Amino acid sequence: MNTVPEYRELTDLQKLNEMKQELEAGFSTVLRHYQAGILHRPERIRQALEEQDAERVAMESHSLKSVCRQVGLMPMGELAAQLETMGASGCLDQAEPLIEQLIASSVQGNHELNHFCNGTTLPRPFFEKGD
Amino acid sequence: MATILVVDDDESFRIYLVTLLRQAGHTVLEADNGQTGLDLFTSAPVELIITDIFMPQMDGIDLLAALGDHHPRAKVIAISGGYKAMNPRLTLDMASSFGAIDIITKPFQAGTVLEKVSKALESTDSKTERES
Repeated sequence: MNTVPEYRELTDLQKLNEMKQELEAGFSTVLRHYQAGILHRPERIRQALEEQDAERVAMESHSLKSVCRQVGLMPMGELAAQLETMGASGCLDQAEPLIEQLIASSVQGNHELNHFCNGTTLPRPFFEKGD
Repeated sequence: MATILVVDDDESFRIYLVTLLRQAGHTVLEADNGQTGLDLFTSAPVELIITDIFMPQMDGIDLLAALGDHHPRAKVIAISGGYKAMNPRLTLDMASSFGAIDIITKPFQAGTVLEKVSKALESTDSKTERES
């Protein structure tokens, strides 16, 4: 039985292309700042969860949600939105698996953004059906 | 071209807006919370403020309230992605009720920001002149 998830790109390239055209020379610098948030905020959310600090889970997830959506990482933005809602409600029982998904997505998303920024195509999917 | 103050605790969005506005020829000041933004506003000739709503320390609504009390002619554009599953539109409607002259929803497009900035700067309502 195949348990490896089917690969799909996380990044909305059209959104990213629009941002590149709009920012022109400033695009790379701006994108690097977004990438830093994408890489580091999931870990901050996990730390907040370990401390059972629901308010901080909500705030960090809120920030990550906006960052992801701005650069076209929509599925990751949705995960962050779900965590934001959990944090805001104070109920973190179901948060841990979402955070693990978020961390995995942040690695893949950052990889995709790097390739976009460098003007290269992805060498191969992270996960291929049937691997 | 104008002097614009960008207030956002999130460095990515702040850098994005600062880069965009500088490329458009504006002078840009930046702050990572409402209190620093208010301090900058009172010490420099700022013509427009773009502020996030949800920030630690003094948030955007508190900043709008403080400006409304002491600098009622200040022009402010509020920006937000919504918080705690609250519809971003409701959040920004609240900002409008506190005196924001325009609102921007995250995620945004650069063109939308520049258009709203131009419109705000060109407006010749009672907020054009800064009080001394």
